[in-house]
Amino acid sequence: MPPRVPLAARRALSSTIVIRFPVRSRRWFASSSDAPEIYDVVCVGGGPAGLSLLAGLKASPVTNGLKVALIEGQDLQKNRLQKDASLESFSNRCSSLTPASVRNLQEIGAWTHANASRIQPYQEMQVWDGVSDARISFDWDTARSPLTPRKPTQPTTIAYMIENVNTVTALLSRLEELGGVDVFSSTKVNSIELGADTEKLDFSSWPILSLSNGKTLAARLLVGADGANSPVRTFAGIPSRGFDYDRHGVVATLTLEGPGWGGLDHKIAYQRLLPTGPIAMLPLPGNKASLVWSTTPERAAKLKSLPPNDFAAMVNAGFRLSPTDLEYLHTLATGQEEEIAWRAKHTPFNKRSIPVRVTDVQPGTVASFPLRMRHADTYTGERVALVGDAAHTIHPLAGQGLNQGQGDAAALVRTISRAVQTGQDIGSTLALESYNSERYAENNAMLGVCDKLHRLYSVESGPVVGLRSVGLRAVNAMGPLKGFFMSRAAGGV
Amino acid sequence: MAPARLSNSLLGVFRAPSLRPAAAWRQKCCYHSYEYSQPPPFPPAESAILSAAISHVPNYGFTADALKLGARDAGYLDVSTNLLPRGVFDLVNFHLVTQRLALKDSVQFPTEGEQGKTPGVGAKVRTLTLARLRANEPVIHRWQEALAIMAQPTYVPASLAELARLADEIWFLAGDKSVDSSWYTKRASLSAIYSATEVFMTQDTSKDYMETEQFLDARLEDITKVGGFLGALSEWADYTAHSAVNVLRSKGMRI
Repeated sequence: MPPRVPLAARRALSSTIVIRFPVRSRRWFASSSDAPEIYDVVCVGGGPAGLSLLAGLKASPVTNGLKVALIEGQDLQKNRLQKDASLESFSNRCSSLTPASVRNLQEIGAWTHANASRIQPYQEMQVWDGVSDARISFDWDTARSPLTPRKPTQPTTIAYMIENVNTVTALLSRLEELGGVDVFSSTKVNSIELGADTEKLDFSSWPILSLSNGKTLAARLLVGADGANSPVRTFAGIPSRGFDYDRHGVVATLTLEGPGWGGLDHKIAYQRLLPTGPIAMLPLPGNKASLVWSTTPERAAKLKSLPPNDFAAMVNAGFRLSPTDLEYLHTLATGQEEEIAWRAKHTPFNKRSIPVRVTDVQPGTVASFPLRMRHADTYTGERVALVGDAAHTIHPLAGQGLNQGQGDAAALVRTISRAVQTGQDIGSTLALESYNSERYAENNAMLGVCDKLHRLYSVESGPVVGLRSVGLRAVNAMGPLKGFFMSRAAGGV
Repeated sequence: MAPARLSNSLLGVFRAPSLRPAAAWRQKCCYHSYEYSQPPPFPPAESAILSAAISHVPNYGFTADALKLGARDAGYLDVSTNLLPRGVFDLVNFHLVTQRLALKDSVQFPTEGEQGKTPGVGAKVRTLTLARLRANEPVIHRWQEALAIMAQPTYVPASLAELARLADEIWFLAGDKSVDSSWYTKRASLSAIYSATEVFMTQDTSKDYMETEQFLDARLEDITKVGGFLGALSEWADYTAHSAVNVLRSKGMRI
């Protein structure tokens, strides 16, 4: 039985129906006249990977003519590095750029825009087991076989420490120099949907982006450089798999006693593989260094709550004392500094094989972030490509995250220019296939290696410790094998 | 509920030669039902002799003497202990079975809403296991004899079956309703923990068996660690399998 509706209500109901029709037809009309602006490449996310891609596209004469747009949620200008920034303070977000990534930045012409005084190349890396003290040292001189003479052209730099803000600023300056990029800064993407088939154009396979400034863009190729929780990846329906490590990375900018054992011209990076995760100290210009300490969330919270003097003491302890001592130190409420000073006196260690003492922490730089590993099932879809963290998130123990993103950007530039040269649609899956095949296996191998290293070194006791120590010492003794690993980590020099 | 409870038929098989009618009667109910009360595990005469004998165990141990004294107390002739063809093992078995069945009455968990939060399955398992261990307390100084009897090759299968039934009882009473492969691993691991703790308890001289309690907690913690490890392993295996397929796909293979 139909419900009884009062007469007035029924009249109201029918009147709304009458009104709704013209509204709907008007909206149809509106959307067809206000057609989206068509771009060849729309890049969502203005991080190092996205900017590197755009600079690469604009720097190449083949792809120079493409109409490209950049959408970034934050204000790109506000986050730039000041030209006269003091060398006494450094950002806590630093990355180690491999020679391959630097070469790529040089090729696209961005490296010259970087603030060179804030970049620190390092020539040696010391890695040791926190439980057994087995050690491996990486430098190009010991990595050659004893029979081959030293080549004068052999590079001595392992990698370059650079603040992420410096990389981003250099890429932005290069993009401004090249011009031709429509930048939508401090603009959010409200929605990404597939377009409609209209009389004029068939947008049914095109991603249509509606922005927070009211514009709509149609992308021939939509590039997701929008980080680990990528909305572009969600739009493309690409699943991302992996796991959380239940570890946090504590970062900080440190002040050291001196420039280090090798002086200003031979800087050394240190990494100690503790059972809770690696602690790494990477050199910055002068007496500064950058800290990345992977540890359990509880210990990370404890470290963040410490006053600067105790925090600095804990970092010193992290490179010197045994895992048992460290476990105890984390349970102390206060007074880590005195306790560590006392314990360090009774712990034997070779002073020259560990970093020089930390004296201070730059205020406000102690922060932490959760560590996880994720890998998208594929990097490409119909009119979609993923680069950087949107495609993969890696454990920071080898410092490869930013380098992978740079590698992705360079590979995607090559793929797009090949498609342009052969007259293909740059958004078609066929054209994008080579990007996925070039990068996927390589990134997967790197993710796998870091994941396995993390698992191998989280073991605290038993035969695993003995075996991994033997392995580490063996690799250290075999120069050519070590050279192979180093060149892989450097991006295939 | 069928898989959550070991059937009683095993017991019937093992005891069949001695007490056929009782066994046949027990065969009828080889499943558990909340609707029907379980039949008593031993016939009246046997039950009378054995329960009287158990009271002599602290002084005489798990021996034929304890059995004879038990028979006399129950008003039977000494020779009536021949009713029990397995002799002292029947005495041990009587203790095991009665203590297992006593668990459901001796340990009561607060029902929901009574005390806010009900204990988790893990906490319940711990409480039940401890309660069962404490039931050995009166005879603990004689328990090594019982272990020796159970370890005799003839009695090993029956002892293991009883151990399995105990593990099953504990998980059942703790409210575990899993129907996957963990059903087996849970029972197997609890059996191992229980038997290890039982042996430990025979050597424990601490007050109120505090060390036994600590020993049990350490073993249960090991299990949690192994469980976490297995979970992480399956997650990792899933990721690795997918990434292998994805790499092949990226190389143009149509999978």
